[in-house]
Amino acid sequence: MSLLAIEGLHARYNAGEVLHGLDITVEEGEIVALLGANGAGKTTTLRAISGLLSHVSGKIDFAGETMLGKGPGAIVRAGIAHVPEGRRVFPGLTVRENILLGASNRPTLKRAAREQEMEAMLEHFPDLRRMQNALGWTLSGGQQQMLALARGLMATPKLLLLDEPSLGLAPLIVQQVFRIIAEIRKRGTTVLLVEQNAHMALSVADRGYVLETGRILVSGKPDALWNDPKVRAAYLGGVEA
Amino acid sequence: MLAILPQLIYTGLGIGAIYALCSLGFVLLIRAANVVNFAQGQFSMLGAYIMLVLLVGVGVPYWAAFLLAVILMAGFGVVFAGAVYWPLRHRSQLAVIISTIGASILLPNVVLATYGPSPATVPGLFANPGFMVGPIFVDTQYLSVMVITVAMVVLQYVIFEKTLLGKKLQATSQDKEMASMLGISVAAMVLITFAYSAILGALAGVLVAPILFVSVGMGGTLALKAFAANIIGGYGNIPGAILGGLIIGLAETLGAAYISTPYKDAFGFLILLLVLLVRPRGLFGELIAEKA
Ligand SMILES: Nc1ncnc2c1ncn2[C@@H]1O[C@H](COP(=O)(O)OP(=O)(O)OP(=O)(O)O)[C@@H](O)[C@H]1O
Ligand SMILES: [Mg+2]
Repeated sequence: MSLLAIEGLHARYNAGEVLHGLDITVEEGEIVALLGANGAGKTTTLRAISGLLSHVSGKIDFAGETMLGKGPGAIVRAGIAHVPEGRRVFPGLTVRENILLGASNRPTLKRAAREQEMEAMLEHFPDLRRMQNALGWTLSGGQQQMLALARGLMATPKLLLLDEPSLGLAPLIVQQVFRIIAEIRKRGTTVLLVEQNAHMALSVADRGYVLETGRILVSGKPDALWNDPKVRAAYLGGVEA
Repeated sequence: MLAILPQLIYTGLGIGAIYALCSLGFVLLIRAANVVNFAQGQFSMLGAYIMLVLLVGVGVPYWAAFLLAVILMAGFGVVFAGAVYWPLRHRSQLAVIISTIGASILLPNVVLATYGPSPATVPGLFANPGFMVGPIFVDTQYLSVMVITVAMVVLQYVIFEKTLLGKKLQATSQDKEMASMLGISVAAMVLITFAYSAILGALAGVLVAPILFVSVGMGGTLALKAFAANIIGGYGNIPGAILGGLIIGLAETLGAAYISTPYKDAFGFLILLLVLLVRPRGLFGELIAEKA
């Protein structure tokens, strides 16, 4: 059984339908890349999985349970954490507070355990450790991305949805982000990764899907995608490996 | 003339503390729910009437009536949220504003229809009206107002800065959707904010009741002052709301004593205009601009 099984996913905004029947599966332990040009529907797909959209139909099963129709709270409690496009760090809360709130999906967690987990999280992110008492809005883009990742991991998710974690970051920071993603998987968390940076995404992913205007154009192993002429033409066209 | 200045400052701060309480509730809703609640003053009016009815009508002992009025208003805050805000939460801010304006018209008229138009008085918290400290007559009611206001500010600080609930409330006010994605119950946070905001409004109402008459129109007056306090302090700024309330209280009291009593209400708004001329974003406005 796949950890995440999506079949015939349709989603629309008031302006019209933007996802026209997607089939996506994610197996436990995988990193799956979801690629596509601007406006292809990558963010919409993740938001549909997280229960943030009101007009969604099809099948979204997670660990054998349907997520369709559940709210974002129930979905993160079920074990899907979402690190959204634009990071969405709480600007008026400190780094520590942002990280702590990541555990809000586990209401029974005791205070001491929560603090301990946060300290452990800060060990993985030395940059955040240095800035632990700084307010969210004072962080650089790279630091905000680290914070968003740390906050997402505090949910101890089975599946982590990452929406363009490399967007707007310097190359060195991008590499750092992807190293962290690889590490996350090594520790047993499954990742569905949305990226414009196809090269980096395919370098860490086990499989990938390429989305074009709300439809899956092609899916497969990174090598196959990278060399697929359809993909190159439609999306990777300008990008040189 | 100068001899009475300390007395005037004392009285001004007492009145200002009431405006500060009302303004604090107003600002909380702006911050936590993006709701500009034009019916905030009606929380005070209703609180005062509930106390009046319990005290005079039902004959409940004074302190019980005081506490009961505040507790009932917390519940009313939740009902208010459910009726006035919740159905419109996905609509524009303007829709919610119009809804609260509707409530601010409806509520006084419901009271008018059930209780009648004649203003009433409520005795102060303490039988002893006050005592002299040097040149100042320390009116116990004003003293109570100031003590309770300080207590509420401290309580609010502790809740918001020292507890996980406070962090969740702040997170919700900063980004509702992100808060919901983390598993924070946005609905619960919003209801808590409304209840707390109604408590602050009700406290202002039951505290001002012995000082002014309890009247159907008191909510509108308080709301205007609270709104002005919020603008003077910097829109949506919590310390600003408190400072703004105190400034208006002082301006009114000093203006009434030294310049003109009939124009008492105008002095607060005069200060508002001056602040807007010099610092259009209010006294603490810059902080918000930086944060955004
Ligand atoms: N809130 C919205 N209301 C209406 N239409 C929307 C909304 N959000 C996205 N869309 C539309 O849905 C389509 C898919 O958008 P989506 O954000 O999912 O794309 P994306 O693949 O994430 O793009 P990008 O790489 O630019 O982030 C686009 O045509 C977009 O204009
Ligand atoms: Mg996107």
